[in-house]
Amino acid sequence: MTISTAPEPVAADAPPAPRRRRAHRPGQAREWWLGAALVLPALVLVVLFKLVPLVRGVLTSFEASSGFGGSEFAGADNYTRMLDDPMVRTSFRNALLVVATLPVWIVIPLVLALLIHQRSPGWKFFRAVYFVPYTIAPIVVGIMFRQILAPDGPLNALLRGVGLQPLAIEWLNGRYSALFSLVAVALWSFFGLGVMTYLAGLATIPEETLEAAYLDGAGFWRRLFSVVVPMLRPTVAYWSVLCASGVLIWLFPLIYALTQGGPGDATMLPEYLVFLTTFQFLDRGYGSAIGIALFVFVAVLSIFSVRHMFTEGTRKPR
Amino acid sequence: MNARHSARIGRYLLTFALVVVAVAAIYPLLFTVVSSVKTQAGFADDPLGLPAGITLDNYLEAFRRMNMPRLLLNSLITTVGGLVLSVLAALLVAYAVTKLRFRGGKIVFLLIIVSLTIPSQAIIYPLYQTVLDLGMSGEYQGLILAYAAFGLPLGTYQLAGYFQQVPDELIEAARVDGAGHLTILFRLLAPIATPALAALAIFNFVWMWNDLLLPLVIMGGSDSKTLMVGVSLLSGQYDVSVPLVSAGLIVALLPVLIIYLVFQRQLVSGALAGSGK
Repeated sequence: MTISTAPEPVAADAPPAPRRRRAHRPGQAREWWLGAALVLPALVLVVLFKLVPLVRGVLTSFEASSGFGGSEFAGADNYTRMLDDPMVRTSFRNALLVVATLPVWIVIPLVLALLIHQRSPGWKFFRAVYFVPYTIAPIVVGIMFRQILAPDGPLNALLRGVGLQPLAIEWLNGRYSALFSLVAVALWSFFGLGVMTYLAGLATIPEETLEAAYLDGAGFWRRLFSVVVPMLRPTVAYWSVLCASGVLIWLFPLIYALTQGGPGDATMLPEYLVFLTTFQFLDRGYGSAIGIALFVFVAVLSIFSVRHMFTEGTRKPR
Repeated sequence: MNARHSARIGRYLLTFALVVVAVAAIYPLLFTVVSSVKTQAGFADDPLGLPAGITLDNYLEAFRRMNMPRLLLNSLITTVGGLVLSVLAALLVAYAVTKLRFRGGKIVFLLIIVSLTIPSQAIIYPLYQTVLDLGMSGEYQGLILAYAAFGLPLGTYQLAGYFQQVPDELIEAARVDGAGHLTILFRLLAPIATPALAALAIFNFVWMWNDLLLPLVIMGGSDSKTLMVGVSLLSGQYDVSVPLVSAGLIVALLPVLIIYLVFQRQLVSGALAGSGK
């Protein structure tokens, strides 16, 4: 039951105004300030170390600034220069070549995950072993394989030993074998993550469906393609996007250790070219322009997974 | 039975495939371990064979040449610092965004998540400039803050997802009992989120410890350079042998390998959530 009161009489010389209820509870304002205080550390970190550098990168990309001297505004010169630069074109073309190997990155971990998931003998051991390469720092992987792929290294020794002498080549010094080697080493380094990603995806498929597929008299490969793969489509899509964007950012330490972009420009990729242009050729404006182009590619590729993360993170449980 | 025979043969072939991949996964590591305990002469004589006698000389020389204790300390300080800072900041944001009536929380969350699309490789020079302008180039805090900024988005996402699942009624009950916000966060929610926090901490440790580009650029060749930068410099010297480099590599990868063996489940679950880093 509420008690209503007549409005207070107003002075004759003032216009009548309805009494307004207080707009905000003090507790609500205090909670907002608390929330603002709690997000402040994260906000400072992200703004200062990610957004500010991104904006500065954009600004620098519009400058002509080389060596240790000053800089002057150059409009879109750095971007038009990129379009004509054989090295830039080669680096993005090499990136496309690497992305073209995506089917291998998708299928090998998938097959391994399926074999593990159906509890092949020793499956726990295999699952643990496959992840070991992923735990090793990429720079360590790169140096390790530089020794293994050396002309007199163990790979060539093995090839000679089994009578495949013609294949015992200088892997890291051939125009095509260098890029091939780089991709193979990267696959070695990251395939374990793919296996785990697929195992996580398989864990979301109802056990009865999988058991029915396994018990079916049909062959393994038919089960693979007709039953399981369609149900794994979201995982396949996720892993594909991850690998495609990974090509643009994961390979820097491997290139640094194995090939330094060579021979010539055979293994130059955008993420290495940004570093090379900026820190070795000291062309800051141009390096920033290549960096922004790289950012655009990565952002376009990863925006879908980011959108998924945002949606999932803000959705109320039902 | 023909069908049973072919099924068994198929199973053997599949297991064989698993074994072959396992050998391919482990052999490079074994080759490096074996090389690291050979003398230079022994390695030259028989690069592929088992060592005639085991020597630790390569480790002693790698330790000396790389100033290993200093590198290990540098990596430990920057990794633990970056790890703690990013997890703490993520914890605060996740709580504010999911459990407080904080208008603007969604925008902050979106900003943090979207920053995942900014890879360090693309902004490496302006990031270096920013750290330089802040007076932190070559200093631990420069790398610690950079690690925290790049490790934060994933943590925020994971913890927000976790806190989302905690019923609001539980929070209200704690408030009625007089619990303050920090008590709710650190005494109630953080313990519930322990699995996520553990996976997050271990995953962040691994990528920060293993990272090359950020320490290479932010620390440069200073006394504060990290282990991975030191390893890359060692292998760049012209008078080093395969056994010596191998010893350096083994020391560099051992901490993470040990962590993997001890915390395999947490590392894997953290990696699965964080692959986009």
